[in-house]
Amino acid sequence: MTKVLLKDIRKNFGTVEVIRGVDLEIEDGEFVVFVGPSGCGKSTLLRLISGLEHISDGELHIGGRLVNEVPAARRGVAMVFQSYALYPHLTVRDNMGFGLKVRKVPASERARRVSEAAATLKLEPLLDRFPRQLSGGQRQRVAIGRAIVGNPDVFLFDEPLSNLDAELRVHMRSEIAALHQRLSTTMIYVTHDQIEAMTLADKIVVLRDGRIEQVGSPRDLYDSPRTIFVAQFIGSPKMNILPLADGQPIALGASVPATATSVGIRPEHLSLGQPSNSTLRGKVGLAEYTGAVTLLHVALDGGQTCLVIHNQGPAPETGAEVGLRAEPGHLHFFDKEGRAV
Amino acid sequence: MTARRTEILYRICWTVALLLLAVPFVFPFLWMISGGFKSTTEIFGTPTLIPRIWRFENFVEVFTYQPFARQYFNSLYIAATVTVLTLFIASLAGYALARIRFAGAGLLMLFLVMALMVPEEVTIIPNFFLIRAMGLIDTHWPLVLLPVFGPQGVVATFLMRQFFLALPKELEDAGKMDGLSRFGVWLKIALPMSRPALAAVAIITFLHSWNLFLEPLIFLSSLEKFTLPLALSNFNDSYGLPLWNLQLAATSLAVVPILIIYLIAQRQIIESFALSGVKG
Repeated sequence: MTKVLLKDIRKNFGTVEVIRGVDLEIEDGEFVVFVGPSGCGKSTLLRLISGLEHISDGELHIGGRLVNEVPAARRGVAMVFQSYALYPHLTVRDNMGFGLKVRKVPASERARRVSEAAATLKLEPLLDRFPRQLSGGQRQRVAIGRAIVGNPDVFLFDEPLSNLDAELRVHMRSEIAALHQRLSTTMIYVTHDQIEAMTLADKIVVLRDGRIEQVGSPRDLYDSPRTIFVAQFIGSPKMNILPLADGQPIALGASVPATATSVGIRPEHLSLGQPSNSTLRGKVGLAEYTGAVTLLHVALDGGQTCLVIHNQGPAPETGAEVGLRAEPGHLHFFDKEGRAV
Repeated sequence: MTARRTEILYRICWTVALLLLAVPFVFPFLWMISGGFKSTTEIFGTPTLIPRIWRFENFVEVFTYQPFARQYFNSLYIAATVTVLTLFIASLAGYALARIRFAGAGLLMLFLVMALMVPEEVTIIPNFFLIRAMGLIDTHWPLVLLPVFGPQGVVATFLMRQFFLALPKELEDAGKMDGLSRFGVWLKIALPMSRPALAAVAIITFLHSWNLFLEPLIFLSSLEKFTLPLALSNFNDSYGLPLWNLQLAATSLAVVPILIIYLIAQRQIIESFALSGVKG
């Protein structure tokens, strides 16, 4: 059982505290994704787990063992880096077997494990090539293969798909998901791409300024965000947040909590109607046609801009007067501290 | 005129211009080789590039006049030793300065670079007293120690540091994840990847040691311990006047290793000068 347990983990760089007390429990075989904006500490947290950075305070347990002072190579973890970090002077075969060689695994065993990993990732024809002779996707597969051969208890992925083009990213995402299903190993994955987070994760950890903002399944975070930050971070396009004074009409029929100061509604939960019989009215400022849907930027009478996803029929022209409607069940209320109520 | 003819004309003009520009550089070299085959009288006679009488015996006399073979070997082994030691120490020091975070690393590098500002001629007298106190006068030790730990070593360290600074840090992280120690990362990852920088440092260091004149002149007094630059200035007659034909023959022989290195590593030499900002 390889459970990963973080107890009040802190990290300082000089006088700056970048990780400010993180408590987290990751179950055996779970796929956990760390998301958050740039500088929130997600990559640092991953590097603390990997052993590449020293933990300033707190306890890190991997597989029931306290590993704060255990070197990276002896933690039973393997990491896939954003830039793949393949050794350019070694062939694919040598890259994959390098860690085993350092650990003095016999050559025959090394060859067997490299072949197995290469077969899993369909890398056999590439084994004698150098990294410079590979495409981005192939390099990514080699980087994953290098992690697999060590047979780690935990896989760590640091934004592994961010250097790939959009099409390849979708393909590799499904390969990583398939790999997780096949290996059933604990995986921790860092990304700033919330589509990756939503599609891959069993559990998403949203980080903000070195602290955990919310932990939960993708559906939990989407349906029940605990703060405005999470509400706006998860979901694309982001949730509209309206001050309740302006948002009041949209919430007709919904019971508004006494402490609520703002209301959130996702663009996909708003629909267009006649201005005369709608609860919110505004003018279309911009219509972005994306093929499947049109994203409307509606300037409300109150001055706010509201995003609306329109996917039924032709979209109104820029400048058209529109009315907006929402189902009461899709409204999210927040107090003045930005917490859900 | 068609575009193709313009292109050909352009190429011809360009080639002629380059050939003309090459003359001032190539001519002294050809003159040196030619002079090596002439007699002293012919050298001072009507100048001709092709010798009227080919004196191959000049090249034999070079070896009989003084222990030239021994001196040749001295230069070779000293330059090789200095190169190997400089590569080892500069790559280690450069790696430490580029990659290990320690208090005063920037200041240390600044001091090292500042030391480069002091002309070698200024330090030669204190160095002489130091070497004499160590009992190493008329040995090859100062010719190894001074370049390795002196300005040439600093230049090499600086070059290696700049190269290591540009190496992706994630590769080192990957090495650590694979179980390498800091030394292992240097040996197995940083060093194999820094081949262009190592080649540059090797070439610059070898050339510097090969051409070293002032230090051998100060520290060496025995003929059989002389290095080539010193030996070349020693082909004189009994009145102390230079035997030009022997000097030119010996010089022709002295450039052979440099020519060989140049032919083998032409690309690296040009890159090394570009990398170091050193003039060729």
